[in-house]
Amino acid sequence: MDIFGDLLMGLSVAITPINMLYLLAGAMVGMIVGVIPGFGPSAGLAILLPVTFGMDPISAIMMLAAIYYGAMYGGTITSILLNTPGESATVASTFDGFPLAKKGRAGPALVMQAVASFVGGTVGVILITILAPMFAQVSRSFGPPEYFLLAIMGMLTLVVMIGKEWKLGLISALIGFALGTVGVDLETGQGRYTFGSAELIGGIYFIPIAIGLFGLGELFFAFYQGLHKTGSGGIIQYENEERFWPTAQDWISTRMTMARHSVLGFVVGVIPGAGATIASLMAYSTERSISKNSENFGKGEMAGLVAPETANNAASSGAMIPLLTLGIPGSASTAVLLAAFLLWGLRPGPLFMEQNPELAWGLIASMYLGNMALLAISIFAIPLFVQLIKVPYRVLGPTVVVICTLGTFSVHASFVETYLMFAAGIIGFFMRLYGFSPAALVLALVLGPLAEEALRQTLTISRGSFMIFVERSASLWIIAITIALVVFLPLLNRFGKSAGQAEKAGG
Amino acid sequence: MRIAFLLVVLAGAVFYSYIAFVDLDFLTRRGRLGPGFFPRIVGVGMVLLMIWVTVDALMKREADTSPAQKWADVVTLMALAIGYAVFLRLFGGFIATVIYLGVALSVLNRGRYVQNAILTVAIPGGVYLLFDRLLNANMPPALIDLPF
Repeated sequence: MDIFGDLLMGLSVAITPINMLYLLAGAMVGMIVGVIPGFGPSAGLAILLPVTFGMDPISAIMMLAAIYYGAMYGGTITSILLNTPGESATVASTFDGFPLAKKGRAGPALVMQAVASFVGGTVGVILITILAPMFAQVSRSFGPPEYFLLAIMGMLTLVVMIGKEWKLGLISALIGFALGTVGVDLETGQGRYTFGSAELIGGIYFIPIAIGLFGLGELFFAFYQGLHKTGSGGIIQYENEERFWPTAQDWISTRMTMARHSVLGFVVGVIPGAGATIASLMAYSTERSISKNSENFGKGEMAGLVAPETANNAASSGAMIPLLTLGIPGSASTAVLLAAFLLWGLRPGPLFMEQNPELAWGLIASMYLGNMALLAISIFAIPLFVQLIKVPYRVLGPTVVVICTLGTFSVHASFVETYLMFAAGIIGFFMRLYGFSPAALVLALVLGPLAEEALRQTLTISRGSFMIFVERSASLWIIAITIALVVFLPLLNRFGKSAGQAEKAGG
Repeated sequence: MRIAFLLVVLAGAVFYSYIAFVDLDFLTRRGRLGPGFFPRIVGVGMVLLMIWVTVDALMKREADTSPAQKWADVVTLMALAIGYAVFLRLFGGFIATVIYLGVALSVLNRGRYVQNAILTVAIPGGVYLLFDRLLNANMPPALIDLPF
């Protein structure tokens, strides 16, 4: 079947009343998660994953994906109105978003960010539609050696993106791998690190760790930073502005910005480890360097808001390519999505689209619909989100603790897992405080068992020889790409960060 | 504090490696890679990197300059969360949530008695409806039966 036919089939799967309901709920929840400072898509996905257990797999995956890309839309509202990014991918949106609001143009800025997010997200999904089957075709010849190398590539790229603290990132990944070895070894039946506990025989479950690290850990860190004391006092009131909708000039001056950064963001998003944050910072820096009005950047230039917004949404779509076609998540959020797929007994990878066409194409089709819904929600529900921003963190904090706790318990009705979640929360706080990477830990916890299984299969096939990794052309290609990424990504990271620092210094 | 945390992680890494080398076989009886193969690589990697990071931290030892108030708020929230975990086991999901929110809000959101009272009842009620009724999910049962 051709791509268009597959997409139509996906649409027929996605457009059912119940799926649409879950899609809208996911988009709305994603936006709420994005609006809350300190909480990104990974926290939202981890906390809400247990809620999807009673659902049909297609509805659940559609809803979780909507939470994932919906968070990108929501994160910008606080960037514009409060100068506080909802998450790291919307930091670049504060550079011109907040000055625009201060100039009395909060309304046009909010509408343009929604449109830019929609364009970035939709171009990203179009590119997924075209490229995902091609990626799947290329990776069809992959065997255990390639899967092991891909897992290592996913980890290494994330670690090198951490920059100066790469050693702490690598240790975080090794801790994740170590946690992944707990439980019965499936090949020999021997227990590993179970210490006689029946609860640990099946291994350390992913959900309590992810909820603890991303939910509680981030909450404790937000309290440490004093977010519960800042409140929403500095919020810009946009209701009395002269004009809510953007001018014709706003549309005309940013149309090429959207086109450029949709593609740039998508390409950066496909690279494991790079992600939406780097994409948005790169887009801002690139746009400023090629703009005729570069001197206005940082003072309320519409293109300075549109560029990062387009790029971060395109990047979140791009990150779905390695997830769906290789089974390799490039970030903490996609790692949580991968875990969700695995929980449903689905294994993303080269054969995923061929073996599960309804689910794969249903998900892709739902992303078109989700972006449309998010465009409407993010323009017409702005007053609702502004009210949400006004809820003080000191009230939100205890509520998040309750949701994390009951969400964890509801999965297996296990008090041990609930206590594990609390322990992960406290450890996650110290990890954030001292430069470790909770994202690398979670990614390794998901990839660890897959990597170990692939490595043992590989060495069984090769009778213990590591030469198998250089004897197969596909493996050699992956090694070459990994080396290139390990060299190239720190440069990309430095470029993005220097753009952010220059803006801070200038602003 | 940072050094203490690094030392705890190092101790954990050493313990993990010790089990990998002492309890887990490197090869199976058939000569294939055993359950100890991967943990040994991971364990050795963790120990070596942790020694490197800890030595680095000891050499550039810097005093913790963060204000005590920052710690006080986090420790309060952590203590409240741990207390919630204990209450959850004793009194079950609904009652423990009411107690936890009552205490947490009166500590963190001081002086707003009416708002706190409403939230203390409304949030557990909403969560109960969502988890127990709408999603048909498990709520923690009580160890101690209360008369109401």
